Amino acid sequence: MGDYMIDLKEISSECSLLNEKLCQDIEGIIKRIQKPVTIKAVLDPTQDKSMELASFLKRFCEIPAGQPINLELYSIEELSKKTEADAISADLKLNTQYLPVMGLYTEDGFSNVSFHGIPGGKEINAFILAIYNLAGAGQELSDSTRKKIQKLKNPVNVKICVSLGCHHCSGLVTACQRIAMLNPLIEAEMIDANLYPDLVENYQIKRVPFMIVNDRDTYTGPRSIEDLVVLFKNSR
Amino acid sequence: MHLIGTELEDFCVQSYHAGAFEEVTKDSVLGHWSVFFFYPADFTFVCPTELGDLADYYDDFKEAGCEIYSVSEDTHFVHKAWADASETIRRISYPMLADPAGKLARFFGVLVEEEGQALRGTFILNPEGKIRAYEIHDMGIGRNAEELLRKVQAAQFVEEHGDQVCPAKWKPGEDTLMPSLDLVGLL
Repeated sequence: MGDYMIDLKEISSECSLLNEKLCQDIEGIIKRIQKPVTIKAVLDPTQDKSMELASFLKRFCEIPAGQPINLELYSIEELSKKTEADAISADLKLNTQYLPVMGLYTEDGFSNVSFHGIPGGKEINAFILAIYNLAGAGQELSDSTRKKIQKLKNPVNVKICVSLGCHHCSGLVTACQRIAMLNPLIEAEMIDANLYPDLVENYQIKRVPFMIVNDRDTYTGPRSIEDLVVLFKNSR
Repeated sequence: MHLIGTELEDFCVQSYHAGAFEEVTKDSVLGHWSVFFFYPADFTFVCPTELGDLADYYDDFKEAGCEIYSVSEDTHFVHKAWADASETIRRISYPMLADPAGKLARFFGVLVEEEGQALRGTFILNPEGKIRAYEIHDMGIGRNAEELLRKVQAAQFVEEHGDQVCPAKWKPGEDTLMPSLDLVGLL
């Protein structure tokens, strides 16, 4: 895999988004994770936001955690020009239509949770909670809701389009990603819509959170996990 | 004191609408979204500009299920005379309400009593006749029909979905927002 990966030594871990105080606060939470996590990102090294994400992640992964948080960065250029890279792309399982993108992985593989863009603003909460829910004790969830999630039988891809300043968005991202972690048929992608004007134009997104289910049905506004389970159950 | 949530009171005024005179009452404005668009007087300069701008967007307002009512303290006869004299006013197809007794302007708080004219007030009412948004400008400050349409659509959206959404003002190339960690009660 080495040929396709960006050498972390070439990435600066200076990141103005993660100051000392914030890193200390994050450390208090990620010290509670109980199993190793790997963050894998696909970047376009010619793109500023990609390199900003690279520095963000490098700095983030230097924060002491209860278990290692590993980082692998891939170049879209390398992944797309070599046919043998298809296997790696298949292994990553990331939607590279919207770059940069990063996904969360454990030793069990891809968590079905990804982020397009940089989780700044309010989305830092969704990012931290995703790691906590994936590798820590996780937020409370009733047994009945957990069972309903695990019983979902239809494949669902949900894209949650957000703006980083939206205080209603990160809750919906967390709810969708929580479901995705518990059922391999569900994928949840957070998208900072501000970075993708074509997406905004195609779906005429004027308010957020804006949810796109199976690239077809759209919904605006936050929803609880329970409401999402019903919605996903009825999705085709 | 603000007017948000205030319900329109009973009224009955004459209007000039599509070349004819018509009575407009509170009942006429219930059951659909409405905009009451006050302006100081017929035959003035900023008014035809604003009213023409509104006429250009009238189809969009109708598509959004919203009727426009322009209102001044002139009579309906003066409205007709103005339409006869001005090409801009002639192409208006929304009702032009006549409020010479000042009842509507007084209710909405835009009547300048000593001048007998209304300030440039715009009021968005829901189908129950309750004020959901408004703005009041001094005499010379014009308004923007496109922005008014956006406000009507936003008011309709909030009425339907509640206020748990954030309007997105997309600014491509904007710096990434500083992280704002707040997980109190979530862990």
